[in-house]
Parts: sequence; structure tokens; C-alpha cells
Amino acid sequence: MAKLYINPLPVRLWHWANAVLFIVLVVTGVQIRYLDLFDFMSFRNAVVVHNWVAFALIGNFFVWLLFYLFSDKNKAYHPEFNLLKLARACFAQMQYYGWGIFKGEHSPHHMDPYNKFNPLQRMLYQILMLFLLPLQFVTGILMWDIKRFSGFVDMVGGVRVVDTIHVLIFIFFVFYLLIHPYLATLGHTPTAHIRAMITGYEDVEEEAPSAVQATQATTA
Amino acid sequence: MTRFRISQAAADLPRRGRAQAVLGAALALALTLFLGAPAAAAVSKDTALSSEDKVCLDCHAKPGLRKTLASGESMPLYIAPNGFAESVHSASGCEGCHSDIDVKAHSKEPSVVKSRREHSQGLMETCRDCHKKTMKQYEDSVHSAQVQAGSAKAPLCSDCHDPHATRSAKDKTGGDNVACQQCHKGVSQAFAASIHGASGDEALACKDCHRTHNIKAAAMGDHLKDQCVSCHREVATSHAQWLPNTARHLEAISCPACHSPGTTRRVNLRIYEGTAAAQQAAEKVGVPQFVKLASSVDPTGSGIDGRALWSLLQDFSRDGSDARTIVRGRLEVQTGIESHSLAAKGKALKDCATCHKQGAASFQKVTVSMAGPDGRPLRHGATDGILNSVESIGSVGGFYTIGSSRIKLLDVMLVMALAAGILVPGGHLVVKLMSARKRKAAIAEAAKSNEPTDRS
Repeated sequence: MAKLYINPLPVRLWHWANAVLFIVLVVTGVQIRYLDLFDFMSFRNAVVVHNWVAFALIGNFFVWLLFYLFSDKNKAYHPEFNLLKLARACFAQMQYYGWGIFKGEHSPHHMDPYNKFNPLQRMLYQILMLFLLPLQFVTGILMWDIKRFSGFVDMVGGVRVVDTIHVLIFIFFVFYLLIHPYLATLGHTPTAHIRAMITGYEDVEEEAPSAVQATQATTA
Repeated sequence: MTRFRISQAAADLPRRGRAQAVLGAALALALTLFLGAPAAAAVSKDTALSSEDKVCLDCHAKPGLRKTLASGESMPLYIAPNGFAESVHSASGCEGCHSDIDVKAHSKEPSVVKSRREHSQGLMETCRDCHKKTMKQYEDSVHSAQVQAGSAKAPLCSDCHDPHATRSAKDKTGGDNVACQQCHKGVSQAFAASIHGASGDEALACKDCHRTHNIKAAAMGDHLKDQCVSCHREVATSHAQWLPNTARHLEAISCPACHSPGTTRRVNLRIYEGTAAAQQAAEKVGVPQFVKLASSVDPTGSGIDGRALWSLLQDFSRDGSDARTIVRGRLEVQTGIESHSLAAKGKALKDCATCHKQGAASFQKVTVSMAGPDGRPLRHGATDGILNSVESIGSVGGFYTIGSSRIKLLDVMLVMALAAGILVPGGHLVVKLMSARKRKAAIAEAAKSNEPTDRS
């Protein structure tokens, strides 16, 4: 096992701040939307906290954005234009998570500081960071002061359209917040990826054959 | 009594000649000196009437003078001489308004008058001769629109103003609300008990908010809210201290919805023309589009639902101009009485849950409305689910209240996302644990088989 510096300090700070702010936004968002089901804070307080935390999250987004804009490590977010190659890599990754992982196979993705995401992660984070999150910011800001932005709100079809987009992304984020921590436990040990996001260093397997691959090689 | 005698004497001036006039004046002077200053004032006013007017008053100053009309009504023809003399109209004289009367033929050939209302309505053209601007304002009012539509109750000039005793507009003699109370009794009573009606000398009059001649339907537009803000100028800043999205709340909620305690509220989905239009889409007079279309999309009368409203808007957009027909929602009180029952500031509603909780009473009644030919809103009931269906994204895009008008399908999707977020990792973990023994065995075997290779 070799130690590779995968997650630089700004990324780690951004990630954990993002996680905390995300959770607060989901909790306050649920309280705002489901006042009939939950009562852990008043509606007004939930709205006020939601607004302030949301602006903090937007500010935090720029930590991520500025780091990757000026870092050569932004290759991790570069899109793959060879669709066939992308499809094959995604399929291999899905095959690993859906089957190979149970048999002790190694992930088909080999991590390095310039290519830290597997193909599925890379695609997801491109959509998440460059489309869904900014869209959530825009819809949130529009609803923060509907009257001020009424011209734009009307242009896109009205406040209900804006809210529906905001809620659809929220639903996706709820799903993401459940899936993401579980996937984080699928490293070579359950805490490997989580520790990497704290220390910055990821244990990376050196080019040794995996258990199954080794067995297959021996039997052949 | 004294004054009447004087006016009668003065009225005979042309016939009796100058000598008698001098005698009359002398008599008046003597009586003035004898009876004192009040009589002097009365005489000076009364004598301001022209001799022609005094001729008219020869008959019309008799209190019992009446005329039976074709409708069977008995119309009083009595004109109080003092009142008329003191009115601003005395300057124009009787003929100023009644120029159609042939003095010689008058009372000899009985004129046919159908009804008092028709008579008053006919004379309104005379009012226009001098009060052009005011008449224009009146014709722009909901009252005039109702008159045009054939209302037998909507006020004419003479229903609010006694033309024979009209004081100057600058002469504020009180009793401003009396004319309004004749038709708006319930509203007047509620207002009298409200914070604005029960504040003594500071109490407002109807006209302070509703204006006088260009009165618009209260449920239309934002003019009444503007009236509130014209006095309560600090509204935006005072609400912003505690109310998130203040501007939107002030725009979409009528003031009484929060400031009339215990009121019943409803959502009014107003139909507008075009996205940027400030005015509500006005229906063409005589073309009951709204009624026709609303009936066609809601044949059973159970209320318009999301899809039906969308269809209605499509029909309007097709029939109308290039501008798209859209809906804007407004939370308002259900009756005029409630809108006048405003209470002190401390009693105003401040609990967000009143509106933002699903099932909130305020959102149980929904109507779709449009400006009618008489300037008042035409309403059609909507189904309970109109604000919660997925079709509302298209039909009620301009109105959304967090919590209480949330779309049910999105709730179902959230539950599915939660289920998937728990079941997918859970299932994966279970399979991983179940396969752990086999996997360890495979790894151990691999390690074993790798050993000779490693050594070599």
C-alpha cells in the first residue's frame, strides 16, 4: 500500500463544511416544507437559518471553485468525450460495485491525485458541482426574495416552477446524502476513504493482482 | 316663518314694481333690526336667490308638494328654500339644472315621469355640464358600471348628493358615511366597531379609503392596499423586521387577511393578461367569456381543478391577444364585513403556521376570478386539490405557498428517494456481509497461492 496525497487541505475544508451545511439545509428545509409533520423549530427560525446557511454554502462553493480553477488537479473534473470509452469504464465500475466487490475483486479504477474519481464519480460530480448545485443556488436565491427577482421568476414560469426545481434537487440530495456515506465505506477498509478526507492521504494499492485475479492466474 | 314671508315678498318683485320692492326692503330692514343678527344672516342668504328662483319657490317651498309618478311612487317636489339658498347650486339658479322646464306650460300640462330613479338618471346629464371631471371619475367607477348594467340600487348623483342642498366640497360637515350605509349596512357596522371606525375624531370615513366618485370594486387590483400604505408608510420596514420575503407577502396577501382577527380566508386565483401586466385581465363587456369557459371546463359544477384551469388559460390565450393569460394568487378575506373588521396592531396574525402548514384552513377555499363587465370580480369555485396537483405547475405557476400548497407527487418522490437511499446501501451491505466468508477464503487462498511466486 502506498500513501498518496489525494485531497488537499482546501478540498477537505470545503468538503466537511459542505457536509455540515448540507445537513443543516436538509433539516431546516424539511421543517419548512413539512411543518405539519415536524416541530423541531419554528417555521420562521427554520427559514432564517435556511437562508443564512444557504448563503454560507454558496460562499463555500467558491472555495471549491477557486481551488479547482487555479489547480492543475481540476483534471479530476474534466469530462470524457470518448463516449464509448466512458460507457465501458462506467460499466466496469458498475460491474465492480454490483458483483466484483462481493468476490473480493479490486476496483477497476486506479486512483491518483490527478484522477481521483472513478468514472461514475467523475460523471456524478460533474453534474452535481457544475449543474445541480448552482441550479439549487439560483432557485434558492430567487425564492429568498421573490419580489426582487419577480421578472426572472415570471420568465421561467412562476414561483411554483422555481420551487419545484428546488425541491426535485433537494430530493436528489436526500438520496445522495444516504448513498454517499455508504459508498465512502467501500474502500479497502470501511474507514479508508473517510480518513483520506480528514488526513488527505489515501492508501493506494500498488500494482499487485487482486485476490480473485491472483487465484485466476494461479489456476490458469 | 319670518324668512319665508320675506322671500315670498321678494319673489313678487317683478310684478309689484320698484315701489313695493323698496317697501319690502324697508320691511326687511325693520325686521332685521327687530329680530337681530341671525335673521339678518338668513335674509342675506335668502335674498341671494334670483327673482326667477323665487317664483319657482312660490310653489316648491310648500312642504307637502308631491307628484305621483307613472311607477306609482310619490315624489316630493318640496325644495327647502334655506337649504337651496345656502347650497353652491343656488348660484346657478333653478334654471341652471331645469332648463327643460317651460315656465308657462309648467304645472298646467302635467309632465309624465316614469320613476324617481329614471328622473334622477336623466338629470345626471345636467350634472355633467359643470362637473365634467367628476362625472368622468364616476363613469369609471363600479357604481356607474352597475348602473349601466341595469342595477336598480347602484347610486346616482342624487343618491349621495341632495342637489338642492349641496354644500361646497370644502365645507366638511360630517356624516360622510351616511350615503354608503344605505347599501353597505353590514360593512358599515363592522367598520364602526373596527380600529379605524371607533377612534373618535380620528375615525376614517368611507371615502378616505374608497375615494368618492371613482370607487373601484374592493376585491380588484391593489388600490385599497395602496390606501393602507398611504397612511401606514412604515409597512415594508416594520414587517421586514420579522417577516421573511416581506415584499412577496405584502404583494400576495390582503391586509385584512392578517389584521382582521378570526377572519375566514380564501385563495383567489386572479386571471391576468400577460406576465408583466399590472392590471387584471379585464373581460370584454357583454362577452361572458369567463362564465362560458368556466362552465365548459367544469360541467358538473364541482369546481375547477388544475387541468381544467390550465385548459381555461389555453382557451383564453387562444381567444385573446398575443399576451399569454396567466394566474396570480392572492390570499384574501372572504367577505367585505371581514375586510372592514380591522383590529389594533397587537392583535394581528403573526403565526406562520396559519398559512404554511399543510391543510391550513386559509387554503381550503380556492376561487378562480376575473374582472367582470361591471368591474367586479367574476368568481368560479376551484377544487381542493388545485394547489397540490402536479398540473398546478402549469396552471398556478404564479402562486405557491410553502407547505400548504406543496405538490403531493413531490412528497411521493421524496419517500421513494428515502426508501432507495436506505434500501440500496442496506441491500448492498447485507450481500457484502453474506459474502464475507467466501471472500476471505478466496483472499486467503490467493495469498497462499501467491507465496511461491513471491519467493521466486
